Amino acid sequence: MAAAPIYLDHQASTPCDPAVVAAMAPWWTEGAANPSSRGHRPGLAAAAAVEVARGRLAQALAVPPEGVVFTSGATEADNLAIKGLCEARLERGRHLVTVATEHRAVLEPCRYLERLGFGLTVLPVGPDGLLDPDRLAAALRPDTVLVSVMAANNEIGVLQPLAAIGALCGRHGVAFHCDGAQLVGQAPLRPLELGIDLLSLSGHKFGGPQGIGALVLAPGVTVAPQLHGGGHEGGRRSGTLPLPLIVGLAEALDRALADAPARGARLLRLRERLRLGLEALGGITVNGALDPRLPHNLNVTVQGVDGGRLHRELRRWLAVSGGSACSSGAPSHVLQALGLSREAAAASLRFGLGRGTGEADIDQALAVVSRLLPALR
Amino acid sequence: MGLYLDACAATPPHPQVLAAMAEAQARFWANPSSLHTPGVEAAEALERCRQELAELLGAPGHRVVFTSGGTEADNLALLGLGRRLKPGRLLLSPLEHPAVAQAAAQLQREGWQVVLLPVGPDGRIDPTDFGPLLAPPTRLVSIGWASSEIGTLQPMAELARLCRDAGVPLHSDAVQAVGQVPVDLGAVPVNLLSLSAHKFQGPRGIGALLLAPGLEIEPLQHGGGQEGGLRPGTEAVALAIGLVRALALRLEALPREGPRLGACRDRLLERLLACPGLRGSGAQGQRLPHHLSLLLRSAAGVPLCGRSAVRALARRGVAVSSGSACSSGRSSPSASLLAIGCTAAEARSGLRLSLGPWIDDDALAPLPGLLESLLPTLPAADPS
Repeated sequence: MAAAPIYLDHQASTPCDPAVVAAMAPWWTEGAANPSSRGHRPGLAAAAAVEVARGRLAQALAVPPEGVVFTSGATEADNLAIKGLCEARLERGRHLVTVATEHRAVLEPCRYLERLGFGLTVLPVGPDGLLDPDRLAAALRPDTVLVSVMAANNEIGVLQPLAAIGALCGRHGVAFHCDGAQLVGQAPLRPLELGIDLLSLSGHKFGGPQGIGALVLAPGVTVAPQLHGGGHEGGRRSGTLPLPLIVGLAEALDRALADAPARGARLLRLRERLRLGLEALGGITVNGALDPRLPHNLNVTVQGVDGGRLHRELRRWLAVSGGSACSSGAPSHVLQALGLSREAAAASLRFGLGRGTGEADIDQALAVVSRLLPALR
Repeated sequence: MGLYLDACAATPPHPQVLAAMAEAQARFWANPSSLHTPGVEAAEALERCRQELAELLGAPGHRVVFTSGGTEADNLALLGLGRRLKPGRLLLSPLEHPAVAQAAAQLQREGWQVVLLPVGPDGRIDPTDFGPLLAPPTRLVSIGWASSEIGTLQPMAELARLCRDAGVPLHSDAVQAVGQVPVDLGAVPVNLLSLSAHKFQGPRGIGALLLAPGLEIEPLQHGGGQEGGLRPGTEAVALAIGLVRALALRLEALPREGPRLGACRDRLLERLLACPGLRGSGAQGQRLPHHLSLLLRSAAGVPLCGRSAVRALARRGVAVSSGSACSSGRSSPSASLLAIGCTAAEARSGLRLSLGPWIDDDALAPLPGLLESLLPTLPAADPS
């Protein structure tokens, strides 16, 4: 069997931290009762464990625990935020604003609402991938109910000016949803201080299990439920709560944040080593601003090669991606929004470094690219 | 945990399921949508789960859509199909779980007419009454395979054939049935089937919707193209592996475990019915083998509060339920018991005991005496 490829795709998914797997373990059995079974002790113990985990998550994000709604992941959280808020504020207006470089879990719910008759403004970004808050200000209308802008881009890692957007939305009384899937767990994020009304997050992006995420609501913000049933989560999201996954989510977030500054600094050094090494090969350009940007992200376009061949050749050695995993191979809409052609977007690589990435991985990755590049050109 | 008799609310995962998931967390943690090797391996593992699940349910041609659980599967079935059809009449069993009943209520807000099917005192739908109701404007039917609260099994094969002959799609919430009784979609032509892993010793946080070939539905969530575009969001591969392993283990054991639990249940019921004041609810023969449901009465025949009984038993280390866990936050009378003709007071006097593989006669031995001793301490059920 060939050696496993070097995994540099931590923005698609991270391995579930063994300490998180261990933290979940007892709750598969001890907490096996249904947390909604409040009549009996196992059910109450399970419900209490959910609330402890909710409190930990709330504390990590500096929000009241009542604002935390557990979901199956960021996609569900984004859908609940966007459709749920617009449905709850139908009388206030039917216009929403988002950005061309958002994840599909944001863009598609917005387009769904547009098909139902909502006005939708999709703002462009600059060549650096950043949204100009003045552009956003100009797009707001009296009937605008929601602005959705991600914290960190999943493909190019750039960090949007959340505080400025939050302040602007606050002044206009417009709800601000932020898809935080790529930033939560990588750096401290306090949504309320940034004026974020709705924040989506996903466990498996920061060492937690797949199948769990959350929507975090600022006090006073309500959403219409999108899953109907037993009225769990304050009527905002029905369905039996997956206690072990919830415990795993809280544990993973605490662990991810505990060493986030040191990890970020280390990954930034590795990322720069990768970037300088790639740039030294010639004909490789970085996509998106280098600052402000996630320290563990790099996205480059390889000039003069066919994208399909590039990815096919690299695949054996390197686990990187051409864009969002959720787009399954279509040329990146994010890179095209920066002004790249389809061909250039297809010939691009996203590197996502993570906790397990070391210097040797970077050097091997560089060696692979430098070895394969001449033949590709 | 004391004596756990609430398997219909949740079951502890089988140790082999936990082992399979632990292995999967280490091997198949990559994003199944990623095109690189770890991603492709995760995707292959997920596809094997999909095929295996369909085969375990006798439906190799059905599409399997993994969801976060039974509630999402029910919502996806009703809203996903309902929103694709012209609003018409939706026939609904009156014994449905809130996940189905509330999804139907949402369809009603979107222009559908929701009609509850008549059931007998045992909770069964009579196929003779049912057939004529399939005439226009009926466009969709949803009937739970087995009732969560009273354990009644519906005559699904007959009902499904009638729906098929009338050309009306049938959804069945089989959350309580899968893993407890044979569910063979090859023999029972249900078009949409919901299930949830944690009811058969699989993990929490995953379920599935099975769709008959050719049936098109709308997604509830929008985003990436996962699950054939019907359910975007990164798939939880380890949970899917846990679900399939749990069901495979269950079905392998079912031929002996079903009759064993059924016999345990029957012996327990016989002893309980010997206590003055206790009555059974739901069907006698056509019921889930692990399910026992009672109506509580005083010696004088006054209905007693089921929720108080749940709490009193809990204080003595016995976990049971007064109805579906998902409606336990409310104190309204049970809709299922009202539907089978109970008065409001009787509909607050329900008690459900549901057994699992961890139960044997010895574990159940003290229960009738305990319950009998508690009855005089229970308040009367609210008659309003």
